[in-house]
Amino acid sequence: MPEIDLYKMLNRFDPAQIPSIVYGNKSIEDNSPNDYPYTDTAAWELPSKIFSKTRYRNTAFVNQEESDTFIIDLPENQDAITQATLLKSEEDQVQELIFRIKWSRSIFYQESLANKLFTLFYDAKEEDPDCLGIAAESLRNFYNFLQLHPNIKCPTISLTPDYDIYASWRGEQNRVFSIHFLPDGDARFVIFKPNDRHPTRKIRISGVATTDILMETVTPYCVEGWISE
Amino acid sequence: MKGDQIPDSDHIARFCRPWQAPDGQIQATAFMLRSDEENFSVNWLEFLNCSSRAHEINEIRNIYSAKFTVGAGAKIAVLNVGEVRENVLTESPDRRNLEVLHDPIEDDVCDPSHGGIYNLKQDDELIAELILETVRESYSARK
Repeated sequence: MPEIDLYKMLNRFDPAQIPSIVYGNKSIEDNSPNDYPYTDTAAWELPSKIFSKTRYRNTAFVNQEESDTFIIDLPENQDAITQATLLKSEEDQVQELIFRIKWSRSIFYQESLANKLFTLFYDAKEEDPDCLGIAAESLRNFYNFLQLHPNIKCPTISLTPDYDIYASWRGEQNRVFSIHFLPDGDARFVIFKPNDRHPTRKIRISGVATTDILMETVTPYCVEGWISE
Repeated sequence: MKGDQIPDSDHIARFCRPWQAPDGQIQATAFMLRSDEENFSVNWLEFLNCSSRAHEINEIRNIYSAKFTVGAGAKIAVLNVGEVRENVLTESPDRRNLEVLHDPIEDDVCDPSHGGIYNLKQDDELIAELILETVRESYSARK
């Protein structure tokens, strides 16, 4: 990896901004060049010598007075740090998605659903702080499904052992409709329904479809009628 | 002994994590495999040789708390081996013949009643729902 000349890098910023201190009643303008690697992920691609002293991490909720300076020994721990950064990024996506659900206008049980998701997330984190909590792409897949089907009743949500979203609806006569939202946009579903001709037996179906056509796919099994408001 | 079939008349306990039992209701996710697993763990209750179900459950709680973090909402699902195998065999599209085998652990944390349910696959949501149908009792997993 090429060495980075720090002096040259500093000169690419507006020199007047570099030594200034910004107080609480002033806004900060981003004068960084367009190609400056300011995102968390990109920042990790810089040579380790830049971060051998300190690294500052800023979030939307950071208290500037308490913003931590932590020393990272990158050469030895690079993989662990990269993984931790990726995990943090996925956690951020999960929390953003849950907030999106919470403020959604198309989901009428948005608040209770968001609370359920936060509970699952923190339960998983309590048991294993290094785990995903919820797989972000699975949650996104679930969110897209809810957006497409606003009249659907609030399901029971649990997490698979790989932290994917699993939504279940249970109805009369032991009807079951469950969906495993996979991170790749697919959804595996299970349907249990009464067999009208043979009351002692049940019809049991499973399959896979992309989330956008899932409800069309299960139309022959009359699921929408009993899982909708 | 390791690899022995647990008799159909006997019972097994399955640990259900809080996120697999939201609001105390055990879900099918408690009977699914992680992507790196080929079987899931259970405990053979009769092997514990306790005088009652309550004593068996207390013993299982002791085993869990020695092995891992037990969340406040974690549950123990109790299943009859024969019912699980019969329901899955007769109701699954591929007439799956599950095996419930004794697999004692003698590592740092001794778990002589440990066993496993075998012949499962990764995409077995339907099998997981069939196993869920056979849960007859559930208890808090915390001591």
